Amino acid sequence: MDQPIPLIQKVICVLWPSFLTASFATVVFFTVFDPNDFLAYSGFDISRLGAYTVGFFLFWLLTGSSCLLTLYFGKPCGIQKPPKDRD
Amino acid sequence: MAENQPEKPVKSDDPVQVELYEKRKKLYVREVHGLFARWRFIAMATLLGFYYGTPWLTWDDRQAILLDLPARKFYILGFTFWPQDFVYLTALLIIAAMALFFFTAVAGRLWCGYACPQTVWTEIFMWIERKIEGDRNKQMKRDKAPWTPLKFYIKGTKHVAWLVFALWTGFTFVGYFTPIKELAHSFITWNLGPWETFWIFFYSLATWGNAGFLREQVCIYMCPYARFQSAMFDQDTLIISYDKDRGDPRGSRRRSDDPKEKGLGACIDCGLCTQVCPTGIDIRDGLQYQCIGCAACVDVCDSVMEKMDYPKGLVKYTTLNSMNGKPTHPLRFKVVGYGAMILIVTIGVLSAIALRTPLNMDILRDRSALYRETDEGLIENVYTIRIANMDTVDHQYRLSANGIDDLVLESDETEPTLKTGEVTEFTARLQVDPYLIKQRSTEVTFHLQALDNPDVAVSHDTRFLGPTNL
Repeated sequence: MDQPIPLIQKVICVLWPSFLTASFATVVFFTVFDPNDFLAYSGFDISRLGAYTVGFFLFWLLTGSSCLLTLYFGKPCGIQKPPKDRD
Repeated sequence: MAENQPEKPVKSDDPVQVELYEKRKKLYVREVHGLFARWRFIAMATLLGFYYGTPWLTWDDRQAILLDLPARKFYILGFTFWPQDFVYLTALLIIAAMALFFFTAVAGRLWCGYACPQTVWTEIFMWIERKIEGDRNKQMKRDKAPWTPLKFYIKGTKHVAWLVFALWTGFTFVGYFTPIKELAHSFITWNLGPWETFWIFFYSLATWGNAGFLREQVCIYMCPYARFQSAMFDQDTLIISYDKDRGDPRGSRRRSDDPKEKGLGACIDCGLCTQVCPTGIDIRDGLQYQCIGCAACVDVCDSVMEKMDYPKGLVKYTTLNSMNGKPTHPLRFKVVGYGAMILIVTIGVLSAIALRTPLNMDILRDRSALYRETDEGLIENVYTIRIANMDTVDHQYRLSANGIDDLVLESDETEPTLKTGEVTEFTARLQVDPYLIKQRSTEVTFHLQALDNPDVAVSHDTRFLGPTNL
């Protein structure tokens, strides 16, 4: 049987890789796009630092959901063994 | 396995699938003194000094290292970096990765044991913990004891000290991104912006959690480097190892006993090496991926060997080759290769930075109309021009355009003056006689050149659109 995975490792599996990729995405995204350029037309009154922050957490939410789904679908499916293997 | 508990009751005909949670046992790490502990102290003091001190340094009347995110400019010593210079950051990451490979190949997990922020902050948090809670034995005794006002007071004091230190860490972190002197002033007068406040507390809490609680679990579960570092190891990599041939069979004895008579090796099985280990492993079980190479076990074992009058080095820095009685080769193809790559990329980046044109021009075609006809019957295209003076001195520039015969450039700012670090945006119009354009879309080029230095010049291609029915 596979080695069991501790709960803390599962929590980290969701929060940590998503944090890393979200940080990377935030850096790349805001290097290319200046929030002031698109916020000016949107009506949001938010500083650049605020836009970076909100952007980062939106990215984290996105990457985090993806990690959560991976964890969910990574669970064993509980498929029954063929009858001959029983008893 | 510490505690094996099924997550839920398992029916007898279910496939065997049991969730096992290994409950983490809190590590009580014993303090260690010795040669490597001293080196670790020096490395950590230097790194922490750099971290907390750097934002306070000034260079030419401004913060020496300021990654000014709100202004989208990075100031590093005499250089200013713009979003356009993103490529240098990539190169810097490549150099950092290569350096990590290089040091891993030479000295194993040197980074983990001496320089990784996780190790450094965990050590300082443990130091605070020892100052307040006492040594390992006192901590273990207190944690087992029931809650009393005194225990509550001591634990509370520790957390307050941790949090104050973490807050200073978070404040310093934000000080790299917004000018730290202004930040300090706003902090003292409690007048911080909402986002600065958020990040100071977010980073503080992360520090408190990582260095106070997660500790070795970060190395074991979170660190990607810990997972793949073994791929960079070879027979000549410096590792920490227990000399099994000399140490086994282990056993306690009096100092006066002759181990040979008792049939024992040099290891007195005192277990101190496991008590000082920050990741809670037993180095005598062989090379393990949890080992961060901090050499705490080397120090403590040497001190025991000294007391026993045995030769030191039962646990020591060594290489697999040396353990097998073969010569160690410090200079290998891989080491030389990584070293050469670091050198090449570094030289490349430095020369690229030295040679870069300190001027940037972005051109956007006016999207509201493809073109328009002027009163004189000329075809006109409108462009928004954004220029940035990335130089350390002020410049006056001249804007020009070519690509079509008799192209006329009209702008309020054909010779703009920009202070160092200034960005400006203005409108420029290109006009041309419709008989001179041959196609719907023609390539035209804008040129911007500093009047005082012809080398400071950039060009930017764009399209000139005209009537379709020509």
